[in-house]
Amino acid sequence: MNHELTVRTRTTPAGPVIELAGVLDHHSAPDVRTVLPHLALSPGQQLVIDLDRLTFCDSTGITVLIAARNHALAAGASVVLTAVPDDVIRTFRLVGLERVFSIQPTSQAAAAAWTRPGPPSE
Amino acid sequence: MCRTDGNGKSGGSPPDSQPGDEQAMFSALLEDSAEDLYEHAPCGYLSTTLDGRIAKINRTLLDWLGYESSDLVGRRDFSDLLTVGGRLYHETHFGPLLRMQGTISGIALELKTADGDRLPVLVTSIIRTGSDGQPLLIRTTVFDARDRRTYEAELLRARQESDRERERLKRLNATLQKTLLPPTLVDVPGLDVAAYYHVASADEVGGDFYDLFPLASGTWGFFLGDVCGKGAAAAAVTSLARYTLRAAAVYDPDPAAVLANLNTVLNHEYNGQDPRFCTVIFGLLTPDGDEGGFQVTLASGGHPPALLMRSDGHADYLPTPGGQLIGVLPDADIATTSVRLDPGDTLFLHTDGLTEAHSVGADGRYGDEALLEFAQELAPTTARDTVAAIRDLLDTFGTGVDDDTAVLAFNVPRHSSEEQM
Repeated sequence: MNHELTVRTRTTPAGPVIELAGVLDHHSAPDVRTVLPHLALSPGQQLVIDLDRLTFCDSTGITVLIAARNHALAAGASVVLTAVPDDVIRTFRLVGLERVFSIQPTSQAAAAAWTRPGPPSE
Repeated sequence: MCRTDGNGKSGGSPPDSQPGDEQAMFSALLEDSAEDLYEHAPCGYLSTTLDGRIAKINRTLLDWLGYESSDLVGRRDFSDLLTVGGRLYHETHFGPLLRMQGTISGIALELKTADGDRLPVLVTSIIRTGSDGQPLLIRTTVFDARDRRTYEAELLRARQESDRERERLKRLNATLQKTLLPPTLVDVPGLDVAAYYHVASADEVGGDFYDLFPLASGTWGFFLGDVCGKGAAAAAVTSLARYTLRAAAVYDPDPAAVLANLNTVLNHEYNGQDPRFCTVIFGLLTPDGDEGGFQVTLASGGHPPALLMRSDGHADYLPTPGGQLIGVLPDADIATTSVRLDPGDTLFLHTDGLTEAHSVGADGRYGDEALLEFAQELAPTTARDTVAAIRDLLDTFGTGVDDDTAVLAFNVPRHSSEEQM
């Protein structure tokens, strides 16, 4: 059984993208947790978490996704999950999280949906 | 050919002497040292006759043992130098293998010195044969293995130390785990109750929990949940969740209110980089009517749904839609559902360690569908039989269960007249 998780981050004009590939469970969750404080997030940006190649996500994995959400919200940014696998969606429904995260089919769609924050209003 | 550097030194090796000089001196040293090399070699040499009687032994080995040549040569056998255990080994393994193979090497033995000390050595022996191939004598080299033995002893000591620490940690974890579970389940009159906690790893405390306790006015409260994560940090949340649930149930036993209370506590207590959540089902059991039924009200906070196994053999999940993971949002959405347990009905609660166990199911996990089929096979059943069947199921997964699993089952017993049918 392969318990490996690959965490890759990249930066786009809309904000950082974290790509998770493999198994996100209590063995691998710290790998994601350690990445979070190093993300450069400005207010109005969005943090995209791309789950396209995620094969498994347990409750600790979900905890890490929420930690990422908290991190983004604290920075005044939003968070978007993309390419969420079906069984992860099912788990999200089970734990009532499908309303907590905004979800997009791909990271490109997430980038397209992002609107640059306008100049501060009066 | 010979050049001196004029400092009058002779016999030594001047720094700029010709290479030919050094070679000559070196070979001279080698030539006259054949005897010396044998006597003062960095290892022990020993020759014995085929029956083991010592025929020749070098100075190095004599010095190690504290004997003189005259003490041993022609008077003692090689096996006389061994400890009792070593002598046995020599008789049963060393000797026969040597005779069979003609050589044996790297055998660890202990020699007895003249003053009774023990000398750990590595022994290699070879049978010397004559030109006609007949064995003549046994030649043996003996290497001092004291350093190696010290190293091995040190390794062993470190290993034992780490084993003891691990044992201590396991005991500590087991104790901690016990404090998170009720020592025995309370007796609810007219209800058959069974529970089981499966520990996936003795090295880490799991975060599953359950409880059953009386509330005022003939009602019982129960809960079963799973704190996300493992280890001491998760155990602290488990402990907080347990007493919050019990206290909240006394304050206002409405299941949705109890979970809302826990949600507020967890959300306040743990936010930011290290959030902690749990999934939990909280319920109330109230005896209902003269027939022996129970009314059950359940609220779920993102927990896998309970399984209802009816007396007619029908089994299905009891949905609690909309219930949200406890602790994530300041105002969690909590769903409530009600069900009546009639005689013969069984309600079964579990944590996801069961359905996420590695097995031959879809995507390598056991899964919700497999559990439902399992329940359909099982129904109608009793609380005790359900828990026993789940224990057997977990046993078949073996090491595939990599998360702790808690299960809790309630069953309203059939009337004794029905049981006899």
